[in-house]
Amino acid sequence: MGNNTQSMNIHLKVWRQKDRLDKGNMEDHKMDNVSPDMSFLEMLDVLNEKLVREGKDPIAFDHDCREGICGMCSLMINGQAHGPESETTTCQLHMRKFKNGDTIVVEPWRARAFPVEKDLMVDRSAFDEIIAAGGFVNVNTGNPQDANCLPISKENADLAMDAAACIGCGACVASCKNASAMLFVSAKVSQLALLPQGQVEAEERVQSMVNKMDELGFGNCTNEAECEASCPKGINISNIARMNRDFLKASIVSKS
Amino acid sequence: MTTKKLDGKVPEGPIQEKWDKHKFNMKLVNPANKRKFNVIVVGTGLAGASAAASLAELGYNVQSFCIQDSPRRAHSIAAQGGVNAAKNYPNDGDSVWRLFYDTVKGGDYRAREANVYRLAQVANNIIDQCVAQGVPFARDYGGFLANRSFGGAQVSRTFYARGQTGQQLLLGAYSAMMKEVSKGKIKLYTRREMLDLVMVNGKARGIITRNVVTGEIERYAADAVLLCTGGYGNVYFLSTNAMASNCSAAWRAHKRGAYFANPCYTQIHPTCIPVHGDHQSKLTLMSESLRNDGRVWVPKNQDDKRAPNDIPEEDRDYYLERKYPSFGNLVPRDVASRNAKQAVDEGKGVGSTGVAVYLDFRDAIKRDGKDVVAAKYGNLFDMYERITDDDPYQVPMRIYPAVHYTMGGLWVDYNLQSNIPGLFVLGEANFSDHGANRLGASALMQGLADGYFVAPYTLGNYFASEKPEQEKVTTDAPEFEAAHKESRDKLERLLSINGSRTTDDFHRDLGKIMWEYVGMARNEEGLKKAISEIKNLKEQFWKDVKVTGTNTNINTELEKANRVADFLELGELMARDALERRESCGGHFREESQTEENEAKRDDENFAHVAAWEWQGEDTEPLRHVEELSFENVALTQRSYK
Amino acid sequence: MRSFKQIMTSSIVKKQVMGVTGLLLCGFLLSHLAGNCLIYVGSDAFNTYAHTLITNPFIYVAEAILALIFLSHIGLALRLTIENNKARPVNYYMKTPTGRGSTFASSTMPYTGFIILVFLVLHLINFKFGPVYNTQVNGVEMRDLYKTVVEYFQSPLNILWYVFAMLALGIHVSHGFWSAFQSIGFNHPKYNCCLKMASKGFALLVTVGYSALPIFCYFQGAK
Ligand SMILES: Cc1cc2nc3c(=O)[nH]c(=O)nc-3n(C[C@H](O)[C@H](O)[C@H](O)COP(=O)(O)OP(=O)(O)OC[C@H]3O[C@@H](n4cnc5c(N)ncnc54)[C@H](O)[C@@H]3O)c2cc1C
Ligand code: HEM
Ligand code: HEM
Ligand code: SF4
Ligand code: F3S
Ligand code: FES
Repeated sequence: MGNNTQSMNIHLKVWRQKDRLDKGNMEDHKMDNVSPDMSFLEMLDVLNEKLVREGKDPIAFDHDCREGICGMCSLMINGQAHGPESETTTCQLHMRKFKNGDTIVVEPWRARAFPVEKDLMVDRSAFDEIIAAGGFVNVNTGNPQDANCLPISKENADLAMDAAACIGCGACVASCKNASAMLFVSAKVSQLALLPQGQVEAEERVQSMVNKMDELGFGNCTNEAECEASCPKGINISNIARMNRDFLKASIVSKS
Repeated sequence: MTTKKLDGKVPEGPIQEKWDKHKFNMKLVNPANKRKFNVIVVGTGLAGASAAASLAELGYNVQSFCIQDSPRRAHSIAAQGGVNAAKNYPNDGDSVWRLFYDTVKGGDYRAREANVYRLAQVANNIIDQCVAQGVPFARDYGGFLANRSFGGAQVSRTFYARGQTGQQLLLGAYSAMMKEVSKGKIKLYTRREMLDLVMVNGKARGIITRNVVTGEIERYAADAVLLCTGGYGNVYFLSTNAMASNCSAAWRAHKRGAYFANPCYTQIHPTCIPVHGDHQSKLTLMSESLRNDGRVWVPKNQDDKRAPNDIPEEDRDYYLERKYPSFGNLVPRDVASRNAKQAVDEGKGVGSTGVAVYLDFRDAIKRDGKDVVAAKYGNLFDMYERITDDDPYQVPMRIYPAVHYTMGGLWVDYNLQSNIPGLFVLGEANFSDHGANRLGASALMQGLADGYFVAPYTLGNYFASEKPEQEKVTTDAPEFEAAHKESRDKLERLLSINGSRTTDDFHRDLGKIMWEYVGMARNEEGLKKAISEIKNLKEQFWKDVKVTGTNTNINTELEKANRVADFLELGELMARDALERRESCGGHFREESQTEENEAKRDDENFAHVAAWEWQGEDTEPLRHVEELSFENVALTQRSYK
Repeated sequence: MRSFKQIMTSSIVKKQVMGVTGLLLCGFLLSHLAGNCLIYVGSDAFNTYAHTLITNPFIYVAEAILALIFLSHIGLALRLTIENNKARPVNYYMKTPTGRGSTFASSTMPYTGFIILVFLVLHLINFKFGPVYNTQVNGVEMRDLYKTVVEYFQSPLNILWYVFAMLALGIHVSHGFWSAFQSIGFNHPKYNCCLKMASKGFALLVTVGYSALPIFCYFQGAK
């Protein structure tokens, strides 16, 4: 019900790939009557329904919450991770940000560590492996001390929350020219480094998580900051610096 | 088959001591023996992730399943507002008892008292546990935890992490879970959809899943199965739930014998962004806190087509303030929702579709200034503008209620065990703690309570007393064979129909029926109509649905069709349950049962019970069992917000 | 225990070594520029300075260290670039910078670095191992490097090449200087903008400083 009610015609170029082994190719689709109030994913829904009616295989893409929090949606849209809007996930991007007659190129995230499963869907389980390598506080369920026994300065709590806002979408990897996962990893490392609960294992954590990241085939960060610019949650690269610092410190002093 | 009186297995004794005594009376599994037990946990939301982590820490071998590509994406991630606990940090008179009381009352006296008391009791531990995990709750300048009042509560007991509390709690539980994954105590199975529950000798012993990537149908055996698969709000097609939220896991368990309790209790949230077209795929919630400063209104006259800002004060109807002078815009969710519907039904709806009401911040901005309003609601205003392209600082927001939460679910006893031995149900998937209406910030509390602090004890008791591990069951058992075949046949049948309408077409139709007749206000005639229309739709679905592709790789259409097939059956049961419950309570409003002032009227004499439905086969009507609810600690009163 | 090798091959430490060597090179650039500025003073001053340097017995140690710094910086740059290319085996059909993150300088580091490398090789050939002239200053026999340099810059083509290379160098360090601090982990909201300014300032100094010399030398030869 926005102000712009003119429906649009869109030319889509979409990446199609049957499975991991398929070579894949770009496929063209013309779409008429695209409402500017549709979200980008709703536009793909409409296309998919049309494909199904024609007996064709719909385009596979990841999505779930459609409100910018689950981190499931992805897509390189016109060469930008999550499309042209800053701090906006693909599911929150609306067609009114495009113009009638536009050609839109849609591709999956591309990185060695994120193999394409089908069409626009990729496997991001590498992120889970990195978290499993140390992205936690080693505390079991039980009877920890009262929550208020551990005062945390508001400043640090806020910084930790800034870092914790990461939704694990992988746009940082997708947009980085080196396919580096530094922003994602540093967000978790920073969150726990900023809180007293995370101190005990801080050295071990940063080393294991970085080693795991390297092992999984992500690239090396060269401080491009495209990740920060593409991150739908505005995670700051100062987190990367913090992780660099902690890693250096840990490498020099840690006994383990 | 006749209807039964169900026993909730609530322990004896005063309510304050029940849980502690029960914990003591429950049998324990020897620490060295725990590793002999295998547990399947389906779902990685707050309930599933916290249960999987806690059980693995105890030493059980856990297999954890979820549909998404990572456990961190479960729908709990979307919860915004906060989580309740009776810490009484603000010193405003909160207590376990008050939290218990508020929750029972909020649930309109349709929840099991003992469960709710336990929930209130363990809520404080949840906050401690989450802080220990590094969840960055909001804090004040002294470094202590901040609280806010939420959902009309009279005390500030809600803990929050910006507008992303669900995300932070889930990431905490997820990290606890990944810690156990790294130790090898949890085996993760992502992109798996549970297709069936497998029972051997009357006990839950395994599941059948579909690997969404390869299409392979897989079998997993264990000594117990925990279903933590969330709610079924997507039966309405449009809801605030995530796209993959579904009822299938619970429904298949139901078809294997698990009772489905109170399916008609659905919560409709009053402040959501309205539908704007046929292509709409889901609805977005706008936090309830907006009603603290926004004023809800519609034009007084039916065909007032003026722009909202051109409508003068005397032509506006601030209907909530008019009807409920003492609570005004802050009436509970169900009341606010029903009144919005009423305004729209009277033809006073606004916007291009006419299905919305205004939520106006003009007066708040005039009173406090734009900056103050922006500081409180800036994020929400931005989100609203991103979706609707309207600037809420300039023109009033348009809002309308949307399906948000389902209080009903699989029936469980005090131990969270369903009527099937070895099948435990946690989180939104069970029916237990919210009665007929859930209070804000209570679902997160319940999911984590179930997973961290209840199931780990009660499951141990089951293992120690029933000793399921002594009957060896492998995935070669004939029961697995049969369930596997059934699942495969069903998928193949869906693929073979090759009709003319898409799955979404059917889902949208189902949603329309549900919203119309089993939505905010229900009546006998409408519900009967719904039942027959859903039956028809189901028949057509199985004749005319078109599912393309194959069963041997990623096939999102097949996944959807498989879920919609179950929604069609559940939808019918919801209508049936609503029809049988001839009273209004909480989220269930029967037009036949209202006061002179059009408010909900409970019938405690006839309906102070849980209705738990038993599946009887495709073409046989289900059986309605009841569990009587007794209220020994809270006096039943009629809610009033006048 | 993580072995030394494990630590040294981790992505972060590789980057940090690049950063530290890069900063050391920035230090070298400054001192080299200062030394070269003696050209403005005159041939004797410059030659004496060069002579003192060359005849100092520690020069071999210093040169070895400098070579090590250059080689590790270049070696690591090569390694990072290769690894980074491997991290994305299939390229995008379309990739557009957001305009909010990377800059021209940051995205061209390997190219500007390569230009500097080519420059360096030619530079050593032309000067260090270039034509040897001799002269006497205050009775001391020494190499007339001044003449070598001035002679070289009589060709406008050589000047153009130098200015071009110094532009590349400037671009390289305009990102590199800040980037090194980020890699080491020095990042603080209070100082971030100063650092970025310093990075640009340093780049300007290096480019202008080093470009002015050839032009000055050109006019010296015309005399
Ligand atoms: C927009 C929104 C805001 C909310 N805000 C609040 C709030 O502020 N406070 C509050 O207390 N509550 C809130 N709620 C409610 C609350 O978030 C949920 O009730 C709660 O998170 C449910 O948790 P869960 O663990 O039971 O299920 P979910 O988090 O829904 O998890 C379900 C899991 O089961 C898996 N699953 C489902 N089906 C299958 C299958 N067939 N096979 C395999 N896996 C399956 C999924 O993959 C997922 O991992 C909100 C809800 C919504 C929609
Ligand atoms: C005097 C010469 C040089 C100086 C002062 C210099 C300085 C720097 C600095 C400070 C960095 C940033 C390091 C970091 O971010 O941690 C850098 C990066 C880089 N340098 Fe150089 N460098 C020089 C020569 C070279 C040469 C000769 C090459 C290549 C052949 C090169 C290739 C690179 C590359 C590819 C990078 C990018 C990698 C990165 O950003 O980390 N540099 N340089
Ligand atoms: C106009 C600019 C420059 C002039 C006039 C200049 C001049 C010289 C001269 C005369 C020498 C020879 C010294 C000797 O043999 O003892 C020299 C050496 C050298 N220059 Fe330059 N230089 C310039 C720019 C640069 C730049 C930009 C770099 C770095 C990228 C550089 C790196 C070197 C190195 C590494 C040596 C060798 C030092 C040694 O062996 O001790 N020069 N330069
Ligand atoms: S850091 Fe940002 S871009 Fe990267 S995964 Fe997290 S939210 Fe996505
Ligand atoms: S874009 Fe890439 S290079 Fe580093 S700063 Fe971001 S990871
Ligand atoms: S679909 Fe959840 S973030 Fe986009």
